[in-house]
Amino acid sequence: MKKKFRIYKPFMIAGMQETTTYRANWIFYMLGNVLGCFVSYFVWKAVFLSDPDSSLNGFTMPQMVVYIFLMFLTSTIISSGGTYDIGEEIRDGTISMRMIKPISYNATFLFQELGNKIMTVFLLVIPLVVGVEICRTVLLGALQFNIALFLLYVLSCVFAYLINFFFNICFGFIAFIIKYLWGANMMKNCIIGFLSGSVIPLAFLPDIVQKILLILPFASLNYTPVMIYMGMYQGTQILYYIGLQVFWVLFFWGLSKLLWAVSTKHLSVQGG
Amino acid sequence: MKNIKRALRMHRIFVTQELKRMMEYKGDFIVGIIGFLLGQFFNIMFLWIIFSQIPSLMGWTLNQIVFIYGFSLIPKGLDHLLFDNLWSIGHFTVAKGDFDKYLTRPIDTLFHVMVEKLQIDALGELLMGIALICVTLPQLAIEWGIVKILLALLVIPFATLIYTGIKIATAAIAFWTKRSGNITYMFYMVNDFAKYPSTIYNRGVRAIITYVIPFAFTAFYPANYILTGENPWFNIGLTVLISLIIMVIGICIWNIGIKAYESAGS
Repeated sequence: MKKKFRIYKPFMIAGMQETTTYRANWIFYMLGNVLGCFVSYFVWKAVFLSDPDSSLNGFTMPQMVVYIFLMFLTSTIISSGGTYDIGEEIRDGTISMRMIKPISYNATFLFQELGNKIMTVFLLVIPLVVGVEICRTVLLGALQFNIALFLLYVLSCVFAYLINFFFNICFGFIAFIIKYLWGANMMKNCIIGFLSGSVIPLAFLPDIVQKILLILPFASLNYTPVMIYMGMYQGTQILYYIGLQVFWVLFFWGLSKLLWAVSTKHLSVQGG
Repeated sequence: MKNIKRALRMHRIFVTQELKRMMEYKGDFIVGIIGFLLGQFFNIMFLWIIFSQIPSLMGWTLNQIVFIYGFSLIPKGLDHLLFDNLWSIGHFTVAKGDFDKYLTRPIDTLFHVMVEKLQIDALGELLMGIALICVTLPQLAIEWGIVKILLALLVIPFATLIYTGIKIATAAIAFWTKRSGNITYMFYMVNDFAKYPSTIYNRGVRAIITYVIPFAFTAFYPANYILTGENPWFNIGLTVLISLIIMVIGICIWNIGIKAYESAGS
């Protein structure tokens, strides 16, 4: 274990350095996303203004505000760029360089991204969580922070990140079929964004659609951690949804191994 | 005059070149168009779900909001279709040292960058915009007159220039910083505010999207004129004026930036 970590540590440090080198660019990117949250905030504010009774599908206005910002925070924490990296390497053939090295392909990506994440967590999570909690306390009149729920949220985020990571690796193999990765990736992000509740809480969708989405891996990405943080799930429900997350982590981990095994047999790289 | 003729000829050559390239990768270009169509589709779903809960949004009906949304996609899509190459300047062209190639050519750098690529993905936005306008228009009972039709058509190229000008200005920052792609991205996120009636925002936000980063003129104000016929001088006149100011500022920053530019290549 210790030896393994020593092998992959340089990848993690490279990931951290990458983020710090272009930190101004990174900050503008985050600012842009925060602005996007404010658009949603104003739209929802107008929605609750035109509705006389102030709870929609179990969400009150303060809860909606918390939901928007937690959604943003969670999607940032669990975001993963594997599709692009792996797809690009399949396309231009540098994947062959990875295959001749005696280290795990997935693990190098994972550690590089973890390096990125460490920076994100320090720069973003702490101010946003404090902000959300102050906002909740002011709006609801009492401190809402629950340390147990917060720890469960962190755990749920870890699983959500792993699902997203392995899912993106799997999706990266689409480069064998589609060369326009940017377009394919955007299409994927649009679909996942909506189906995982980033645009609108799944509680607003028709019952049957909601039930299906809650079982499929989509809700396991953003929705489960956010709902846990907000205290929308009770005891056994929390267990059930985290269990489901574990299942999807294993599923996509297995699938990525399988795709890797199948495709390396058929991979042909020209030149080099 | 001779210059303009030459520029138009150059433009035609670049566009034909791009079309040839696209025909080579047909599948890709369908993926891009569908991607952008889907993105807009889910946004409309969002509006539709919200309106199934409430009768109106601060006095605006679903049809009106969808019309404004559809209108906002036209200038955005046009700019995306024609001048998308400006995005790559701030994202990687300058950082990778590839910008030097533009400096060695005997045409204006900005012109060259702008016309070099045609981004067919944008058809997704344009088609969606046109579809939304076509669906909502018959239900909106708008009073049409010759003047209104002319003004509505006139305002579209100017609204497009607001996007282009802001893209030029933010891309040019890369001449100093090497990378500015995410500054452009940040400005584009402000643009999301313009897709909804600006009356839903507080006064601070409204002032910003009207006078500081005037994206409200790319969508809400012109669409509001078409819907209500009110204040043509403000809604249309100011759109034209502001787009010209933004373009001049953008071109100035670009030209100063070119002088400060030092290649990142070896």
